[in-house]
Amino acid sequence: MDFNYIIAMLLVALGLYCLLLKRNLIKIIIGLAVLTDGIHLFLISLGYRAGGIAAIVSGEMLSDLSGFAARAVDPIPQALVLTSIVINICIVAFALSLAIYSYRHYGTLDPSKLRRLKE
Amino acid sequence: MIPHAPILAIVLPLFAAFLMPVVGILARRRGIKRAREWFAIAAVLVELVIVVSMLPVVWGEQILVYQLGGWQPPWGINLAIDGLNLFVAVIVAGISALVVIYSFVCMERDTGLDQYYTLLFLILAGMMGVALTGDIFNLYVFFEIMCISSYALVAFRRKWQSIEASIKYLIVSSLGTSFILLGIALLYGMVGSLNIAHLAQKLPLEPTSAIIVPLALFVTGFGIKIAMVPLHMWQPDAYQAAPSAVAALFSGATATIGIYAMVRVVYTLFGAFAIGIMLAALGLVTMVLGALMALTQRDLKRLLAYSCISQIGYVLLGIGLGTVLGVQGGLFHLFNNAIYKTMLFMIAGAIIYRVGTSNMDRLGGLWKNMPVTAMLFGVGALAISGVPPFNGFASKWTIYVAGIEAGQPVFTIIALIMSALTLAYFLKALNSIFLGQRPTHLKNVKETPLFMLFPIVLLAALCVIFGVLPQLGIDIVRPAQEALMNSGGYISAVLGGA
Repeated sequence: MDFNYIIAMLLVALGLYCLLLKRNLIKIIIGLAVLTDGIHLFLISLGYRAGGIAAIVSGEMLSDLSGFAARAVDPIPQALVLTSIVINICIVAFALSLAIYSYRHYGTLDPSKLRRLKE
Repeated sequence: MIPHAPILAIVLPLFAAFLMPVVGILARRRGIKRAREWFAIAAVLVELVIVVSMLPVVWGEQILVYQLGGWQPPWGINLAIDGLNLFVAVIVAGISALVVIYSFVCMERDTGLDQYYTLLFLILAGMMGVALTGDIFNLYVFFEIMCISSYALVAFRRKWQSIEASIKYLIVSSLGTSFILLGIALLYGMVGSLNIAHLAQKLPLEPTSAIIVPLALFVTGFGIKIAMVPLHMWQPDAYQAAPSAVAALFSGATATIGIYAMVRVVYTLFGAFAIGIMLAALGLVTMVLGALMALTQRDLKRLLAYSCISQIGYVLLGIGLGTVLGVQGGLFHLFNNAIYKTMLFMIAGAIIYRVGTSNMDRLGGLWKNMPVTAMLFGVGALAISGVPPFNGFASKWTIYVAGIEAGQPVFTIIALIMSALTLAYFLKALNSIFLGQRPTHLKNVKETPLFMLFPIVLLAALCVIFGVLPQLGIDIVRPAQEALMNSGGYISAVLGGA
């Protein structure tokens, strides 16, 4: 029943694990994507309603607004997730391009080797 | 006030950002030199005028609520502007204006300036959005706009330094922003609203144990952005590798936005004045560690970055104390920090422009070549160390007094010692850059170009003005402090007694 919440939190935990412990930029970026996808799943589950209808008020719904409100899914989380997916695409695309550049400059994808600035 | 000023302040930089490449292309076709730069300066000055035009209304004890599309809050998105919002917006607009003017000369040797100005204006749009919005998800989106543009600007020159710094910054900071998103999701699940005022009204009814998780997520997320100490590792790299104009913008404006988001969420949204003492303690650690690390740096920009961490510690300490005087001192210090930290980064940029390096081991005796710059650096160094008669003294003094009044004399003593350390590392920097032996290859270095010197001189003048007339600074800060401490007024103004 509350399965999707458990999965969402599992995804978040997996993403965090990837981000903190992996030693490869590509895997870290994948971890970032998984982490945010877990959050997206969590958000979308908040608005989910089994057998719900789309929250678009059309002609015949207007007469029965309270019935409509009882059956419609919550549209706000969907809007939020849509926005957040777009943002996340930007971040992942940008991160991957940086990973390409860092491979060109350093010849490695190991983030612990990217430490020339400290010297 | 200019009609529709609140939304114009966000939309104008957004449009300017995407017009920038068009202006660039047109100018190249017509053979007009520097059209893009002049367009950028004009846009940012208009932006400043728009923001400043809101000042009289907001200072007249009024909270501007601008409803987008005419939807009533909490259903529609609204921009809510009280003293604190506008205080931050004025800092951001002012610093951005000076940075754009400064970029005119500072960036002239770089290619791809269309993209540079586009990203700069996107950051400005993001910052304005965070500063003015009254909706928590909107705040997140604008925060992301600001963050993504700043990763790109750090990587702007695509050398190994910039790539390394940018990738560290991106990974740490996106972790922070995803924490913020998770926090927003939890809040929405609990309360079912995204309006900051509406959330602030409903949250006290929820059990404390449920509120603590999103609060922790928000503090961590914004803490990464302001480089609070356990989360600061990205910041020195990013500031060192970014172009100096960008570093100046980050230290003055972006850090201010981070602090704003932090206090708005912690104090207004959660009403969690109780965790102020934790913020103050973290601020103390931030201050000490930043100052100690700054002592050992050999690169001027890296030193300034660590000193930025240290100064943010003072702000957190003042705001965390939670008393009237403490918050005033903290916000005043935020204001002053934006002034002199931007100025010092601009001076570092001027040295790089003329000499080509900011490594202090390879500099020396430059006061003979750049007497005006050396003097301005001295002003900045004394101001940041809290030496009277400069502005740093006024705000630091307020924080010291607030610490004693709040019954935390230990905090005051540590802050005082750190102030001395600040003076120590800035004197070291001053000594190794402008005094001492001049290497022979630096004989022909010229004074900073006038156009570059202008914003620096302006900021130095502000340092002196607010140092000589601290009351003026307190008067500017007071509306912001009152707005921050009066979350009830904010809620009722936005929701209109609903």
